[in-house]
Amino acid sequence: MPTISCSEHDLLGLIGEDMDRARLLSLLPLAKAGFDGEEDGKLRIELQDTNRPDLWSCEGVARQLRAHLRGATPSYPFFRARAARAGGRVEVDADLAAIRPVVGAFIARGVEVDEATLIQIIQTQEKLCEGYGHKRREAAMGVYDASAIEFPVRYRAAAPDETRFVPLGFEQPMTLNEILRDHPKGRDYRRLVEGKPRYPLLEDSAGTVLSFPPVINSRALGEVEVGDDNLFVEVTGHDLRIVALVLNIMACNFADRGWTIVPITAVYPYDTAFGREVTIPMDLSCTQEVPLAKVNKALGLALAGKEVQALLRSYGVAAKLKAGGIISATSPAYRADYMHPVDVIEDIAIARGYERFEPVMPETFTVGGLAPSTLLADRARQELVGYGFQEVFSNVLMSREETRARLRIDAPLVEIENFVSDTYSVVRDRLLVSLLRVESSSTKAQYPHQIFEVGEVAVYDESAVHGSRTEDHAAALMASGEAGFSDIHSYLDALMYFLARDYRLESRDMPFAIEGRGAVVRVGEKEVGVIAELHPEVLVAWGMEAPAAYFEINLSALA
Amino acid sequence: MDIETLTRGLHPLEIRVLRACPERGEAEEKHVRREAGLEEGQFRRAIQWLLSKEIVAVVREEAAETIQLTELGKAFAAKGTPEMQLLARVGATPGLTVPECTAGFDVPEDEMRAAFGKLRKLGALRIAGGGVERDPAADIGPFERVSALIARLAAQPGTPMTALAADEQETVRGLVHKRMRAKGVFYLERETNLVFALTAAGAEVRAKAFALGLSGEEVSRLTQDMLRDGSWRGKTFRKYSVEFAPPRRVLARRHPYREFLDFVKYKLTSMGFVEMRGPLVECEFWNMDALFMPQFHAAREIHDAYFIKAPTHALRLEPDFLAQVAAAHEDGGDSGASGWRYTFDRERTRRLVLRTQGTALSARQLGLGALIPGRYFAMARCFRPDTVDATHACDFFQCEGIALGEEINFRTLLGLLTLFATEVAKAEEVKFVPAYFPFTEPSVEAHIRHPRLGWIELGGAGIFRPEVTYPLGVTAPVLAWGLGLDRMAMVALKINDIRELFSRDLDALRTRRLELELY
Repeated sequence: MPTISCSEHDLLGLIGEDMDRARLLSLLPLAKAGFDGEEDGKLRIELQDTNRPDLWSCEGVARQLRAHLRGATPSYPFFRARAARAGGRVEVDADLAAIRPVVGAFIARGVEVDEATLIQIIQTQEKLCEGYGHKRREAAMGVYDASAIEFPVRYRAAAPDETRFVPLGFEQPMTLNEILRDHPKGRDYRRLVEGKPRYPLLEDSAGTVLSFPPVINSRALGEVEVGDDNLFVEVTGHDLRIVALVLNIMACNFADRGWTIVPITAVYPYDTAFGREVTIPMDLSCTQEVPLAKVNKALGLALAGKEVQALLRSYGVAAKLKAGGIISATSPAYRADYMHPVDVIEDIAIARGYERFEPVMPETFTVGGLAPSTLLADRARQELVGYGFQEVFSNVLMSREETRARLRIDAPLVEIENFVSDTYSVVRDRLLVSLLRVESSSTKAQYPHQIFEVGEVAVYDESAVHGSRTEDHAAALMASGEAGFSDIHSYLDALMYFLARDYRLESRDMPFAIEGRGAVVRVGEKEVGVIAELHPEVLVAWGMEAPAAYFEINLSALA
Repeated sequence: MDIETLTRGLHPLEIRVLRACPERGEAEEKHVRREAGLEEGQFRRAIQWLLSKEIVAVVREEAAETIQLTELGKAFAAKGTPEMQLLARVGATPGLTVPECTAGFDVPEDEMRAAFGKLRKLGALRIAGGGVERDPAADIGPFERVSALIARLAAQPGTPMTALAADEQETVRGLVHKRMRAKGVFYLERETNLVFALTAAGAEVRAKAFALGLSGEEVSRLTQDMLRDGSWRGKTFRKYSVEFAPPRRVLARRHPYREFLDFVKYKLTSMGFVEMRGPLVECEFWNMDALFMPQFHAAREIHDAYFIKAPTHALRLEPDFLAQVAAAHEDGGDSGASGWRYTFDRERTRRLVLRTQGTALSARQLGLGALIPGRYFAMARCFRPDTVDATHACDFFQCEGIALGEEINFRTLLGLLTLFATEVAKAEEVKFVPAYFPFTEPSVEAHIRHPRLGWIELGGAGIFRPEVTYPLGVTAPVLAWGLGLDRMAMVALKINDIRELFSRDLDALRTRRLELELY
């Protein structure tokens, strides 16, 4: 979830209405935004909706609130511009098709960049490209002083070792590969271009490099300063919808601060989802038709068509009433999240205010109950508590060393490929490990120790659909000066008796048991568990100070 | 504590000591003990109790020496000192040789020879031509006095040193051998004699004990024998100080966090929810695809799910809704939606991960065939790659579920959440704010007002998108919800570190208590 920071003054200015803090905060839910405190005199605002990048900026939040306060949809005429002005073009080389095929841009002019705007531009760029743009893979943005650019701009594929320019933050010209190797941004983003025969490059018709997308801008053109009043904004990526949406949002943000937006056309030598000449900003709005009856059924209300229309407008959504009680809702051009009529219905609910909905208690009758496996597990837990065993409850992730070497066993188990810490890199396949973890941390606790756990384990099994079986196990362990096989056997015997399962023990040597003091538990022909007096090597490996005996039953095998 | 309670709670030994105490003034330990008829150990215990209850107070401690006879001393007392025995033998049979004189006594021979030497030196015995003979003129008074003293002290063992005359004391000290060696006649016992007195409250307690007729003969423990032979009849039982803290015992209990989860489980079943269970190792299909999370979604990247090393993929999807779910992602399928408009990777659906969200179980339940109306819940252990710290556990529980029904709408969703707030979280105030989940629309977050912590999140919910339900063959509205249990559990268990929910410390487990009224 993105979190942005913006000054209260700037936010109120964009909303266009003065109000106290309490009222401002009470309106934030309209933007699925939460107040996350203040930092350096600025409000921190958390945006919940990962599918509404238009809200991830001070301007975006203000826009949503402004629509609500004015009850009207904002209007952005530049979405209707049919063609770019002469010269405002980006020409794309054929070779980009296989490298980074999409580019889009617009020009914003007419207002001088001030400190607040500059901070917001940088923040929005970061949120949109790092978050929505998947760390610049789907969207990388550059902003430049347009006055210094000779149009048309060329988007071409450049030779990595021959093309050189001075990147931002450096003094000397560097080749593209040198940038990837030596520039901090190069190291951050080289995974996006490495391995390609040539890299993307934006330069103007005078041959001055704008940037090496998606990595770094040039020092010559790619540095915006306070006072600039003519900006060129470009985004590159792979999916034209994403690139266009990001630029639409940026354009609206500039427009909300009074800038004039001049569309730019990208000319492709290959086909895109929107043809070979693509002008941006581009209207991505989507219309959903929803029967009024469906709205009312979904919300449990009896709204009139006019009310729904007004609510949608106050949420920035254009709505028409059509014959047959159909509401035709068109999302604003800066939103691309209308996938289904339910998305319109949520907008209506939010616009109305969740606090204005009266909750209705469920009236239907359903029969509840625990899963049969849980009932059996809970029975085993009750028995063992009654026998004087303290219940323990553990994380199921362990280290490989604990589950294998320290038990002197070696067999495949469920391992995590991308583990964060070795300590939590495998899933336990028996509860013994969890019980020993408790024992090794509790040598100071008064003896005797009698502990148990009932819980899930994952047992490696290539023949199972998921490569493993999740089983419920019940395991109990005694540790004290006197604990031995026969003590734990009496408790196993009691448990099996009260769970009404006939069992027998079959002597078996196991690496973690003292020779001749281990057995498997059989019910019928099925092996359902083990019982053992633990081998001193195991006790030593776990740092235990008392002899221990234990049993473990696979409850899933008893079901 | 008031006098009556204090008095009624007295142990019989205490009562016997109190009865033997003078009403006022100092009391000497040994006198009181004799008077009470108690053994040393019993008396000591009773005095300790009385001191700790401040019924008596120590005035001072006196150190005293008492005289005891060694085995040798006892033999001297019975048969006389070696000197007296020698005098008697020589007096009866004069003319013996020196060896004849000293042989044949119970006393070691060197002892007799030393006595002979002393008597000869004094002149009481002398060696003449005819052997050893007595000098009747010699003064044997000192030997007689020593002998008499030994006899007297033997008759009164434990005589205090201070009871003897100064010369007698000197004699005794001369005959003492340290550490009770055989050659000594006496040994001295040093003991401290406690001098104590009743406190003001103690005097009242003593008076009360008399008034209540407490004798100290009350029965302390009812025994099986007493029950069998009926000897308990007619006896009175000692009254206990019932308000005293009992000794602590090591008990066996449910784990406190599980106790909390059990509570939630019982609440949910009582509200008509059926429990769902499923595998820890899940395929991406049920964990994400079926929930309409696009394969390019940020939450599906390598750092947001644990991927299984081997085998990497499930053998097959069970049950199989691949075609329908793929269509929902690509173009909406028959759900009436536009879909995410990308090429859905069918191979990836079988990629195995550790379950990242309990909602995977809800999706499975829809695929397996859920009842309408129907309600389901799961307590699912889930996994997210995170560095483990006070707010992140390596695995954690999610409580999630669904409710299906033709009558389900946004207001019934709020109704159910209100019910959770009052029934499960015992909150009196709940508020709802818009939220976002990829698989629900509309989506809502519920917050409850906690008496101490203010507004805290109860959980998230929403109505499943048609892109989730239609591909799985469900056209009725399905409400999906999840409760944030960890936070509630931490409040109820008064802990601030999430890792302590799964504490490995047995001592902590034996004592940690669930404060259900607190969350």
